[in-house]
Amino acid sequence: MENPDQQHESVMDTGAEQLGKTYAQALLSAAEKAGITSTVVDQLTQIVDEYLGGSPQLAAAFDSPRIDADEKNRVIDKVFGGEFEPLIVNFMKVMAGRGRLGNLQAVRDGAIALFDEMSGQVLANVSTAVPLDDALRGKITEQLGNVLNRKVRLKETIDEELIGGMVIRVGDTVFDNSVANRLDSIAKKAQEGFSATLLQKFEQMTSD
Amino acid sequence: MKFSSDEIASVLQQEIENFDSKIDVREVGTVLEVGDGIARVYGLSGVMAGEMVEFPNGAIGLAFNLEENSVGIIILGDYLTIQEGDEVKALGTLLSVPAGDAVVGRVLDPLGNPLDGKGPVQTDVTRPVEIIATGVAERQPVGEPMQTGIKAIDAMTPIGRGQRELIIGDRKTGKTAIAIDAILNQKGQDVKCFYVAIGQKDSSVAGVVDVLEKYGAMEYTTVINAGASAPAPLQYVAPYAGTAMAEHFMFNGGHALIVYDDLSKQATAYRQMSLLMRRPPGREAFPGDVFYCHSRLLERSSKLSDDLGGGSLTSLPIIETLEGEVSAYIPTNVISITDGQIYVQPDLFFSGVRPAMNPGISVSRVGGAAQIKAMKKVAGGLRLDLAAFRALEAFAQLGTDLDPATQAQLDRGYRMVELLKQPQFKPLPVADQVVILYAGTEGHLDDVEIKSVSQWEADFLQYINDKHSAILEKITAEGALSDEVRESIEAAIKEFKAGYKPAA
Repeated sequence: MENPDQQHESVMDTGAEQLGKTYAQALLSAAEKAGITSTVVDQLTQIVDEYLGGSPQLAAAFDSPRIDADEKNRVIDKVFGGEFEPLIVNFMKVMAGRGRLGNLQAVRDGAIALFDEMSGQVLANVSTAVPLDDALRGKITEQLGNVLNRKVRLKETIDEELIGGMVIRVGDTVFDNSVANRLDSIAKKAQEGFSATLLQKFEQMTSD
Repeated sequence: MKFSSDEIASVLQQEIENFDSKIDVREVGTVLEVGDGIARVYGLSGVMAGEMVEFPNGAIGLAFNLEENSVGIIILGDYLTIQEGDEVKALGTLLSVPAGDAVVGRVLDPLGNPLDGKGPVQTDVTRPVEIIATGVAERQPVGEPMQTGIKAIDAMTPIGRGQRELIIGDRKTGKTAIAIDAILNQKGQDVKCFYVAIGQKDSSVAGVVDVLEKYGAMEYTTVINAGASAPAPLQYVAPYAGTAMAEHFMFNGGHALIVYDDLSKQATAYRQMSLLMRRPPGREAFPGDVFYCHSRLLERSSKLSDDLGGGSLTSLPIIETLEGEVSAYIPTNVISITDGQIYVQPDLFFSGVRPAMNPGISVSRVGGAAQIKAMKKVAGGLRLDLAAFRALEAFAQLGTDLDPATQAQLDRGYRMVELLKQPQFKPLPVADQVVILYAGTEGHLDDVEIKSVSQWEADFLQYINDKHSAILEKITAEGALSDEVRESIEAAIKEFKAGYKPAA
């Protein structure tokens, strides 16, 4: 409850995710044919993060079923035309025509996942108590890359509650070497060991 | 009394010194939604069906449904403090419970946590809750009796060690009483008993524990309780957990008896979970695999071959019917799985026949193999005689005049019914049962008033235990009813009747 934003991020619409994956696949296949895959992914990220993220009105307008496709197409041409790849602009128009423009973020997530898979990359979420420096960053990338046999992309988070050490999450696997976790497990272990010993040598440990 | 701080400090220091810090690698997922004892979790992409997972509040869950985008988890514990977005950790193991001598005499929940306030179960022995039952080659036929101490059952539907005998009937007909008597009768027989209470009122379970304690049966009994207030997943795993604890004794060459009270409620809990998990409903809205749910449980009761130590696990599942409806889904399923059933009826119960077993439709498919020879001899024709008597009784009610032979048969029948009545918590040793049934079937009771039969029985048993205990010892030792024993019983009965004056 301390962090309402984080609570909200977990709200996951598996239907939208499925949809995003499908659209992302179509977008990336088209981009691959044109040979501009990484540009497309970068630009899509830019659109979602900067334009939609920066202007909630625009995001709301894209999501709204009351604004018809023609109007949306006009806005897309005006805002994104020229500056972005025509492929992306066309793609957005297709989405608008199908009333799916509100799912642009899901498409972005799907496209990144798919692009990582295609290019043999993997995303590693690294949480630390203090910010990483470049040397450490390089070391983590290199070592993780060796272990996973993939190129590693880092996403860094600062979490002071970890006290020290770091937590790396790749996919669904978490490598946890934080001080907080070690303290927790040592506490648990000591508690268990202590209660077992207490039962065994109750006489010895107490005196009248 | 006070704790010496030096000792405590040294123990803690030792723990800390021995702590080896490895990187904690875990597979995780995120809670999407939670409620009604189940959670849907995103992630956990490598989790296996039935694998244990842990929630941040310490609750244990089981991966129940593996779907394309999420995993359905059943939560075996407190699900009210789990929140959306919580991290779920896969533990990489199957659910297991503590087993061995440490669980005997305890009242536990289905995960092996204490409910009796006697502290945690201290043992290194654990057993997986779900295992595949032993196969054909590892078993042998049931041939050793498992005495329940109830005359009607030991005489007419005998139960062998390793058998599964269903106790079925409406509510309030004495089903649990039969099972409790069977547990009480295992005193000194080297049989470990397990009473699994599923969806029962906690007050009734407390009552059962009280009775077991009062009669000294808690020394060899474990009570596993998933009460009516426990979440459905706990009620669902309770019988498997109890069986896992009991199997420990079976696989170590010992004998165990387990009572599932009752499986209808377990089926209901399973139905609830399945429906919440959106598994398709079938007949009576039960999921398609509710048969397997019971068959894989009851299949684990067995008599092991001598190579494996010859241990056994006998089970007494209980099913509650509604208005005597045995053709409902769950009753027919369990009837077809078990090796026979004891059918208890409300009309018999209220007319004073207790245990209210209906001998006509109760069977034991193991039959005479699970009886000592002497019992087989005295009780061999009893079931058919009683059935004939019931038919005749209905006919006699028409008020027709009866010839003396028929009248005699009726009189004998009334006395046998009377003789098979037995008060609760009074299981009888098998030798006592043999002499009593001998007296009845050989007609020695024909001249006793029907209403004084039970008094006669009690006095006669007292007499034979006091004066002729050698006969009882001989029956117990030999197991057979030799001519010599038969003569001495005859003589004892004659002697008793000569000096017997019923109390007015």
